[in-house]
Amino acid sequence: MADVMIALRELKKTYGSADGEVHALRGVTLDINKGEAVAVMGHSGSGKSTLLSIIGALNPPSSGSIEIDGIDIYALSQERRADFRREYLGFVFQQFQLIPYLTALENVLLPLVTTSLPGRRKRELAEQVLCRVGLAGKMNRLPNALSGGEQERVAIARAIVNAPPVLLADEPTGNLDTKTGEEIMALFRELNQDGLTVLMVTHNPDNTRHMGRTIVLKDGLLCQDKAEILSLAAGRGQRRGG
Amino acid sequence: MTIYQIAVSNLKRRRKKVLFLLLGLVVGVSTVVGLLTIVRAMRLELGDRIDEFGANIVITPRAKGAALNYGGVHVSDVTFGAERLTEADLPKIDTIPERKSINIISPKIVGAVDTGGQKALLVGVETKREFTQKPWFSLREQARLPAGANPGSLSLLDVPADGLVAGFAAARTLGVGAGDSLTLNGRPFQVFGVLNETGGREDGVLYANLAVAQGLLGRPGEFSLIEISAYCNFCPVEEIAAQLSSALPNGRVTPLRQAALFREETIDNFASFGFALSGVVLLVAALMVLTTMLASVGERTREIGIFRALGFRQAHIVRIIFLEAGLVSFLAGLLGYLLGSAAALLAGPYLAQLQGTVPLRTDLILPAVLLSTVLAVAASTYPALKAARLDPAEALRFI
Repeated sequence: MADVMIALRELKKTYGSADGEVHALRGVTLDINKGEAVAVMGHSGSGKSTLLSIIGALNPPSSGSIEIDGIDIYALSQERRADFRREYLGFVFQQFQLIPYLTALENVLLPLVTTSLPGRRKRELAEQVLCRVGLAGKMNRLPNALSGGEQERVAIARAIVNAPPVLLADEPTGNLDTKTGEEIMALFRELNQDGLTVLMVTHNPDNTRHMGRTIVLKDGLLCQDKAEILSLAAGRGQRRGG
Repeated sequence: MTIYQIAVSNLKRRRKKVLFLLLGLVVGVSTVVGLLTIVRAMRLELGDRIDEFGANIVITPRAKGAALNYGGVHVSDVTFGAERLTEADLPKIDTIPERKSINIISPKIVGAVDTGGQKALLVGVETKREFTQKPWFSLREQARLPAGANPGSLSLLDVPADGLVAGFAAARTLGVGAGDSLTLNGRPFQVFGVLNETGGREDGVLYANLAVAQGLLGRPGEFSLIEISAYCNFCPVEEIAAQLSSALPNGRVTPLRQAALFREETIDNFASFGFALSGVVLLVAALMVLTTMLASVGERTREIGIFRALGFRQAHIVRIIFLEAGLVSFLAGLLGYLLGSAAALLAGPYLAQLQGTVPLRTDLILPAVLLSTVLAVAASTYPALKAARLDPAEALRFI
């Protein structure tokens, strides 16, 4: 039996709003193994992003349990959870989320800022990952001087610079053209082949080809309806967001 | 890449906001520095001009006796017992720790003399010291003055051994003028000069040389009182009086309220008003820092969410905000010091009616920087905590 990297048990998340309670997740149980690449699909409001933020140690669940590499992350204090994010998780956000006043290199250095590594070593690591994502010649450019694809590469470089075991991505190709999106997905596949566990929220069925497994969320629950899954995978009922 | 570099990069990006913040702090710091510089200059000038205000400490013998009154001070005329002030007491004054604050020491003997049927009050003084200490004394008449010449300055004139300087009222009562002869206790004197009217008790006094008067009164080497002009920039006159009291156990030391103290009160009032004004300006500066930093945190919600998602602790976020406030306020402290000093140098003489130049206060550089930094960091505490407590999931719109 493969080692489980992410274990979710009866995960529920409820938000209070003026209109009453919103049940974003209604009992999700899921295991993701080490080195696995999983695509999360679902319609808008199905709970995809909520699931990602909970796994990302950013958003405590209302009930249920979640362990990453055997660590009950929400039993940790806020500050220790920040340390956990830095050491275990790499984030690739929707719309890149680069810091606009920092260069590509400085953006990639961000996860290393609060580590105890020597400054030179941090720079070496950042340069290495930028070279790996094909941005060797553009390290000192500000984000607004880079194309969408290049910004996405910087975001990926930033997510992997601290060598986390888990990479979380939220709609990473949502703002890219098809060709650039394919290149980015190839990069994700390469990272997964290097042993990284990848969990990607996507609305693009083409992206699922690069992932080992696809799960579908519907109304806060894992979808068991094969027809629904096939429909989403085929691109029907495709909607943005989630 | 360090937290410091993140703070600097953000400041470079928000130049207008930084300039606004800088301006508010510079105005606050420069107001305080300018006022402190002017107040110090006023106090120094007061010290330099103390002799214009006369004596402010009087030492009389600690003795029982029938008192004569001189210038509002009780002077023992008839002493009995051992308590006397003598020439041996003068060197003791030089031993007190605040000796450097004493400008003029003017010992004198006071006694009643017979002018041939009328009693008069004779004061023996070291004339140059006495008249330097009381610059408001001036001669209306002077003996042996060539026709058409004006009387000289008293503090520069040597009064002959047989000469007298008569107060305005004394001259009128005794019916004498400059150059006239007058017999005191049987000894002939010539009236060297007559003083202009001062309106004070000194108008009824005859002044003679100290040694001559001591001989005439039969009290050689003895003083009735010692008048002292003293001013200390950093300690009250009472402090000097206390030191004198210790040095002269046979004397009763009395600090006087007078012009110098009135001037000091004026300075104190100016300083109090200035500090109240500075307080208001600093409060406004602090509010400016608070609102600017709050607005900055509001604009950077998403950015702070990214930092938190990438593993920055709450403490790291607080450090970024404090560093930004600290860097701006450090610069504001230096600029505020320079601007405040320049303003004091240029406007001080007009604002505080100073006659001399305003000395720069280099000792205020560090306090100015500290004031600015502490103020800005304190005002940034709430925005920094607010930033640190932002929910990263909400900031990144996961919710």
